[in-house]
This record gives sequence, structure tokens and C-alpha cells, in this order.
Amino acid sequence: MKRRKRAYQITIKVLLGIVGLFTMAPILLALMNSFKTNGELLSNVIALPKALDLENYIRTFDKMSYWRSLGNTVFLAAFSVILICLFSAMAGWKLCRTKTKLAKVIYGLFVFSMLIPFSSIMIPLYKVVLSLGLKNSLAGLSLIYAGTGTSMAIFIYYGFVKSIPIELEEAAAIDGCSSIKTFFLIVFPMLKATTATVCITNMLWVWNDFLLPLIVLSDNEKYTLLLSTNTLFGQYSSDWTAILSALILAALPAIVLYIVFQKQIMRGIADGAVKG
Amino acid sequence: MKYKRNGNVSLLLFTLPALAVYIIFKLYPAVSGIFYSLTNWNGLSREYDFVGMENFVELLTDTYFWDSLKFTTLYVIALLLVANAAALILAVAVESVKKGKGVFRTIFCLPNMISMIIGGYMWQFIFYKVFYYMADNFGWKFLDKSWAGDSKYAFLSIVIVAAWGCIGYLMIIYMAGLQGVPAHLLEAAALDGANGWQKFWNVTFPMIRPALTICIFWTLNSAFQVFDVIYSLTGGGPGRSTQSVAINIYEEAFQGNIRYGYATAKSTVLFLIIFVITAVQLKIMQKKEEEL
Repeated sequence: MKRRKRAYQITIKVLLGIVGLFTMAPILLALMNSFKTNGELLSNVIALPKALDLENYIRTFDKMSYWRSLGNTVFLAAFSVILICLFSAMAGWKLCRTKTKLAKVIYGLFVFSMLIPFSSIMIPLYKVVLSLGLKNSLAGLSLIYAGTGTSMAIFIYYGFVKSIPIELEEAAAIDGCSSIKTFFLIVFPMLKATTATVCITNMLWVWNDFLLPLIVLSDNEKYTLLLSTNTLFGQYSSDWTAILSALILAALPAIVLYIVFQKQIMRGIADGAVKG
Repeated sequence: MKYKRNGNVSLLLFTLPALAVYIIFKLYPAVSGIFYSLTNWNGLSREYDFVGMENFVELLTDTYFWDSLKFTTLYVIALLLVANAAALILAVAVESVKKGKGVFRTIFCLPNMISMIIGGYMWQFIFYKVFYYMADNFGWKFLDKSWAGDSKYAFLSIVIVAAWGCIGYLMIIYMAGLQGVPAHLLEAAALDGANGWQKFWNVTFPMIRPALTICIFWTLNSAFQVFDVIYSLTGGGPGRSTQSVAINIYEEAFQGNIRYGYATAKSTVLFLIIFVITAVQLKIMQKKEEEL
């Protein structure tokens, strides 16, 4: 019995290892070939590079304005996530605690809007962007992410607030604590775990979203990493060594963050999906 | 009564920021989109006429749109089966590993952290360089075709790359479901003489039904709106053979002459499809919660 179990463990690990290798292959092959010269790449795409030559990276780093694109992406993701967490926590808490018809109606409106897919509103949304003068505005883009992301986040916060006792808030109210103070000093800290979930799921979404920035941003000074990469791909149509180095550069921040925060990210995905 | 009114004032204060951005950037576009789908507005001029269902009638004979709808439906079905089956099998396999579970989980989920724009371009390299190289040097002739560039194989390529991107995400949800299956139930089943398959089918599977529902609807919802992976892998081509509904709407609206009313009619149809899917999902979830 014991031996059978050990044999199973070894077999399953070997099998998963093979599947894992296939999963990683596109990224590993891109990484390996990004260090090669074009001649080296053409002669053998699956060999390891002869040297860790950073030539391609130097070429593409400036071409895609790496620091600026990264900065734009970080700003966009951070600002959007802050807005979503703050707006949704405030609304989710108050909607859950207020027992009036109005609260029900507003909550229903938010839940209902989870049924609206982004691709069906992108054309009228573009009109709104133009008429509010938000074209090429990163802050404006964050507001749009807040507008499209809050309903799901409110749903998650609402569900969590329902499960925490109200006594603490009532005690604060009796002590003369205002709603705003109660929220920031007592409620928001209690929502920490939910905020982490909301933060992670929305960060992943905004960081990797392509279609909305593609529509809103046309000035390459405002480009995100993905938009810069996309432009570069068009310019270097068959220069694969340059393209691959750009792809690795664009993927790198997400991969690093993933490796550092993987536990939190996994929990965020699982919780966000189960509650959403 | 006075308390109640105060409650509403405070309620409005706290929901105002969320409500404002939500109304401006989601509700208003959605409502105005449906409104304009009933007009012949070209997007620029001040004047437009109400044309009733004319745009929708025209849509009925728009073969490009129907082809994109057909393509998207096939894509959704393929991804639903392939990605969910693979993710569930992987989740069960990874959960059964005693030591080093985390390493496998990390590896399988990695593609999900990368945007499908980057993923799609990386796969172009695989399809156009690596596969040809392998076909030439290892004699693997089945790889010797233009995967993303030939309309016969482009669909398959897109499904492969999309599945590669989302299996890890689905696997995490299935794993969370599997961890919720109480060990004593499985032990009891084993004592009753159930084999591995019976244990899975009669004990584990019913317990992970909620995870299954979540994953199925997540796939339905996101696959119906597929854009990134097609944009980066085939651009909708060759010809229009891999044009999804989202790509079709994007092209109608942002490339060439835009017919605003007509484009919003397309959006409205997509909206209705996803609306029905998600409404069914919410109903099912609600029922499940009541049962629990």
C-alpha cells in the first residue's frame, strides 16, 4: 500500500512536470531567444543563447519608452484600485447597514449592472470620454475603471459586511462618533481581508486590460506597457529578437509581482470568484 | 421617520462617489447605447431619425456579423469544454500531490498573470518560428502548417492559446472547491469500498458543484467577449475567419466609417446574450445558496 502510494506520487509528479514544462514553454522560449542575435535565432530557435547578450533589450528599452510606460501602468492600476476599494467599501457598508427602500433600489442597480458586458458599452462610453474631454487622460481612465469595477466590488463588500456584528458600530454611534469617522476608524480596518481580495482581483484586471486603454489613449506619451508593446510589435514585424525582448520586458513586472505575492494572489482569485 | 430620512441622507453621502462614476461610465453608456440603436445617427451630425427596429432588421442579413456570432459561439463551447476539463483534471492532480503542491500551482497559474496580448504575441513566435523549426529539424510534419495564418487551423490555435491563458485561473477555483471537501467523507466512502473513481464521482463532484458553476459562467461570460487573444494572434484573420463579436464591433466603431446607430445595435445584441447568460447564473447561484 505504502509502496503504491509512493509510486503514485512519483508518477503524478513526473506527469505534472511535463505538463508544467509545456505550460512554461512559450515564456521560456521567448526568454531564451530574446538574448540571441537574429542569425543565432534563425539557425536554432530551441538552443540556449550563446551569451546573455543584452543588446536586444537595450534596443527595445528606449523604443518602448519602458520607464514611462511602466510608470503610466503603475499609476493607472494604483489609482484605479484605490478608487474602487474606497468607493465600494463606503457604498457596500452603508448599503448593507441602511434598511430603507432606497438602499435596496441602489444596491439592486449595482447588482443589475454586473450583467452589462464591457464590449456592449464601449462605443457609447467612447462618446462620453470625448464629451468629458477625458481622451488621453490616465486619471480619467481610472475613473472609468472605477465606474465599471465598483459594482462587483460593492457586491463583495456587501456580502462581508453582512457577516460582521453591528454592535461595534452602534457603540461608536452612541459615543457620538460620526458616520464618516466610524467608517474610517472602525469599519474600514475590519474590512482589511475583503479589501485585499478586491485590491488583487482589480489590480490584475486593470494591469492586463488592453481594450479600454486602446480606445481611450492615443497619445503615446500616455501609453501603458501593453500599448507600447503592441505598437512596437507592429513596427518590428519580423525582427523577432527585438519583439521577444520587448515581450519579456512587458511581462516582467507582472511575473515579479506574482512570484512575490503569489499566496495573496491565489487567495484573492479564489475568494473573489467564490464571493463574486 | 426622521431617523429613516437621516439614514437616506447618510446613505446617499456614502454611495455618491460610487454612484457617480457608475452612472456616468456604465449605466448612461448602456442606456444611451440601446437608445441610439433605434436611430440612424452617424455619430457626428446633430440630427438623426428614429428608425425603430431597422438596424436590427439589417443585422439579420449582415453575414459578417452572423459569422462573427457563429465563430464566437463555437469558441465559447470549445473553451468551455477544453479549459474546464483540463483545469479540473489539473486541480485534482495537483491536490493529490503530497509535497511541492505550491510549485505546480505557481507554474500552471503563471500564464494567467500575463496579458493575452503578450501571450498571443509569444505564441505567434511559437507558431511561426518554433513549430516550423521542429517540423524541419525533427521531421514532425504535423507541425508544418501556418497555424494562426490558415483559416483551417486558426480557430484551433486561438482555443489552444486562450486555454493556455485561463486554465490556471480556473484551476485555482477548482482547487479551492476541492479543499472544501471534508476528508472524513472520503474516508467513509473508502471504508465502504468505493474506488477512486466512485469517490470522485459520488463524493467529491457534488461537493465542488459551486466551483463548477462559477467556472462555467466565468468562461461563458469572458469567452463571449473575447478580444485580446484574437487581436494579438490573428487580428481576426485570415480574412474575417476568426472575427469575434467584440472584434467585429471594435472594427465597426473605431476603424473606417462609423455608423453609430448600427454599431450600437450590434452591441445591444451582444448585451442581450450576455445578460441572459449572467441572469441565469445569478438565479442558479441564488437557488444553490438557499439550498445550503
